[in-house]
Amino acid sequence: MMLEYVAFGIISTAIVGSAIGAVTSRNLVHSVLFLASTLLSTAVLYVHLESALIAGIQVILYTGGVITLMLFGILLTDDTHAVTRQNRSTGHLAGGIGALAMFGFIIASIHQSALPSLPQTFDINAKSIGFAFLTKHLLAFEALSLLLLAALVGAVVLARRSDP
Amino acid sequence: MTLAAYLIVAAAVFCCGLYGVLTRRNAIGMLIGVELMANAGNINLIAFSRFLGQVDGQVFTLFAIALTVAEVVVGLALVLLLYRSRKNIDVVQASEMKG
Amino acid sequence: MSTSLLILLTLFTPVGAALTLGLLPNFRRAGRPAEYLSVAAAFVSLIAATVLFIRQQLVSDATPLLDTHIRWLSHNGKSLVEVGATIDGISAPMLLVVALVAFCVQLYSMGYLAGESGDARGRYFTYQSLFIFAMEAMVVAPNAFQVFMGWELVGMCSYLLIGHYYQKPSAARASLKAFWVTKFADMGLLFGLLVLFTVGGSFGWDSTTVTSLGSSGATAVAALFLLAVVGKSAQFPLHIWLPDAMEGPTPVSALLHAATMVAAGVYLIVRTYPIFAAAPDVLTVMAYLGAFTAFFAACVAMVQTDIKKLLAYSTCSQLGYMVAALGTGSLMGGYFHLSTHACFKALLFLAAGSFIHAVHSNEMENMGGLWAKMKLSAILFIIGSLALAGLPGLSGFFSKEVILEELSHSGHALPFVACMLTAGMTAFYMTKACLLAIFGPPSEGARHAHESPKTMLLPMGILAALSLVAGFGGTMLAQMYGVEYAFHFGTTGIIATALGFAGIGLALFAYLPSRRANNPFGALTSVGSFIRYGAVDRTAAFAYRNGLCKIGAAIGWFDRYVVDGVMNLTGWLPLVAAQRLRRIQTGVVTDYVYGVIVGLIVLIAMGTVFK
Repeated sequence: MMLEYVAFGIISTAIVGSAIGAVTSRNLVHSVLFLASTLLSTAVLYVHLESALIAGIQVILYTGGVITLMLFGILLTDDTHAVTRQNRSTGHLAGGIGALAMFGFIIASIHQSALPSLPQTFDINAKSIGFAFLTKHLLAFEALSLLLLAALVGAVVLARRSDP
Repeated sequence: MTLAAYLIVAAAVFCCGLYGVLTRRNAIGMLIGVELMANAGNINLIAFSRFLGQVDGQVFTLFAIALTVAEVVVGLALVLLLYRSRKNIDVVQASEMKG
Repeated sequence: MSTSLLILLTLFTPVGAALTLGLLPNFRRAGRPAEYLSVAAAFVSLIAATVLFIRQQLVSDATPLLDTHIRWLSHNGKSLVEVGATIDGISAPMLLVVALVAFCVQLYSMGYLAGESGDARGRYFTYQSLFIFAMEAMVVAPNAFQVFMGWELVGMCSYLLIGHYYQKPSAARASLKAFWVTKFADMGLLFGLLVLFTVGGSFGWDSTTVTSLGSSGATAVAALFLLAVVGKSAQFPLHIWLPDAMEGPTPVSALLHAATMVAAGVYLIVRTYPIFAAAPDVLTVMAYLGAFTAFFAACVAMVQTDIKKLLAYSTCSQLGYMVAALGTGSLMGGYFHLSTHACFKALLFLAAGSFIHAVHSNEMENMGGLWAKMKLSAILFIIGSLALAGLPGLSGFFSKEVILEELSHSGHALPFVACMLTAGMTAFYMTKACLLAIFGPPSEGARHAHESPKTMLLPMGILAALSLVAGFGGTMLAQMYGVEYAFHFGTTGIIATALGFAGIGLALFAYLPSRRANNPFGALTSVGSFIRYGAVDRTAAFAYRNGLCKIGAAIGWFDRYVVDGVMNLTGWLPLVAAQRLRRIQTGVVTDYVYGVIVGLIVLIAMGTVFK
């Protein structure tokens, strides 16, 4: 039991710590790498929550896709000088107050809510998720495929040079 | 572990993301904040799925991940567009919509 | 030939001619062909109307010969309005009168307008054809809605035809005046229709509708209809447009402003009599109003020097007789007089037009001595005058006798006395007109005068023959109307005839050529000129300028400063608010995110508080 607490403590510290790093680092590339660290730690948390499939997808999609995309974005938009120096932030005080106020309210509402306790049995695996996808949530699944196509086309149209 | 512990971790990540969105002047930095907030939402979904024993939470998470990826793609395209027209990606300077 | 085909012929040959002329400008401007087409259409219409009249006459009782509707504006399988044609004992005689007078006038117009340009003649005959259709459609209307449509259409034709000489400012003014005055009165018909439909449930005048109208509803509808009648049939105080309408060509005055269109008001009462019968108060008003108009207009007619104005006031007076008769409940009196009056008044106008055509003036003193040059026209005018004056044996005598007889039994003493006096005055002014225009001292104009062409004399001859004999058709017409009638020459008739002869005698005494030097009525000249220059007209103009225009100005002020002010204020407030509020749009993304946070916190707080 003790081990579980220790494991959770390490994981959550890693998540929150790298998240703070991601939003405070002055170097933009560092920020992206901190983000990657947050996402990987979150994947570990998913494993801890017995959701291995989601953890795998998190690693592949986020860490493999999004982080790469972001790095390419930085590469295309800023020069080296800007990457390392010009990742400026403003309004630390107001931003901090806003974020803390939000945090306070979320904690308050968590505190007020009656939360369920951990059930004894848990049998959700890739098979049951796939089954849910193709039965109960089929329409959303198809709509999502359409959305991805639209995002693909939209990104191409937006990023294309207007005068080829 | 109780559910509240997971929710608090998620809330902390969410607020870090919020802080990033509020303070960053760089558009990509802002996008990183948004990613963190979306990730916090995913943690909540998975935690509830685990504690309620329902598959829907995991399905929603997958949807959310797909949506986030699409959002990043479009967001980065917009950032490229912004850079192309202004030669920088500072959102404070990009305030033509001022009333 | 089937009845429905006949009614189609009656109605649609004139409108066909009007449309043809309207759509083919070159054909219309040719003049002569347009005249032939229009007269031929009027002739076909007359023949068909005559056949319809005879067929209806052969139907022994008062059942309709034809009653056909087509649905219009149907909704949920129920039609809101129906249009169609009803031929019964009421509409068939009127249809014949309209078609007959219209044909005579059309024929006459060919001669009368011969001197005008082809364009003017084409326009004139187009409007005349349209008028014939409109009037006939109104006469055969199966419900009040179609009456309304025909009513407005004849009003429009009246406006267009009065303004035939539109280059003349007085004619243009007269047409506008006629239009506005009758349009004011037509509001009554429109509102009457609305009340009839909303309270009575239909546009008809059948017993079901009258029953559901109830007493007060019938009174309201009848009173509103009466307003329209007062305007259209030139009753006091809205008669002011009729004398001015004489600016139109004389045949127009004969057809529209003497025989048919002004009688439309009387016909409306006859047609919707079931509604009027349920409103006894309105009938009493009608009896008094009609008698007063008869008396008043006769007074004014006595002092006229313009022959057409004299005839116009005479028309007012005779229409007053009809309204008074209907007010006493005598369908026979009002309707029979309408038919005979149409014949002899149209004749009088056409004969007067013949004089005017010869001497190019409306003033009677410029016509003196026409007897020597235009014996036929003069004889026809005298026949018409005697018929109007009520010489025993002529048509006016019979119909007027019915009215006076009914009035004497009605219990309304004042209208009776007024109408009796009017009978004498009518004889006086018609004799005066004859003496001045025909037998007066030879004038400059009369020296070059010559008899009118045959196209003008023939229709006058037809109308004169009818004026002589129409009085004997009373029994037949009464049978068609479905009322009791037997000619009866009682005390009233004797007194009225005596008054008529007295009027003739007095006029002879005053205006015989030998006696003209010491005219006993010379002292009344100033009173005469006061009346002649339109006392009522001036009152109406005064009321218009000081009443209506002031109210209009006040309403205009209210609209400009109060209504518009509120509107401008409601427009100005958002504008100023927007100027202030635009500052919250900073254009910086971060600020919007702060807005989202505030909103989210408020939502969470509300969820906590209002759990």
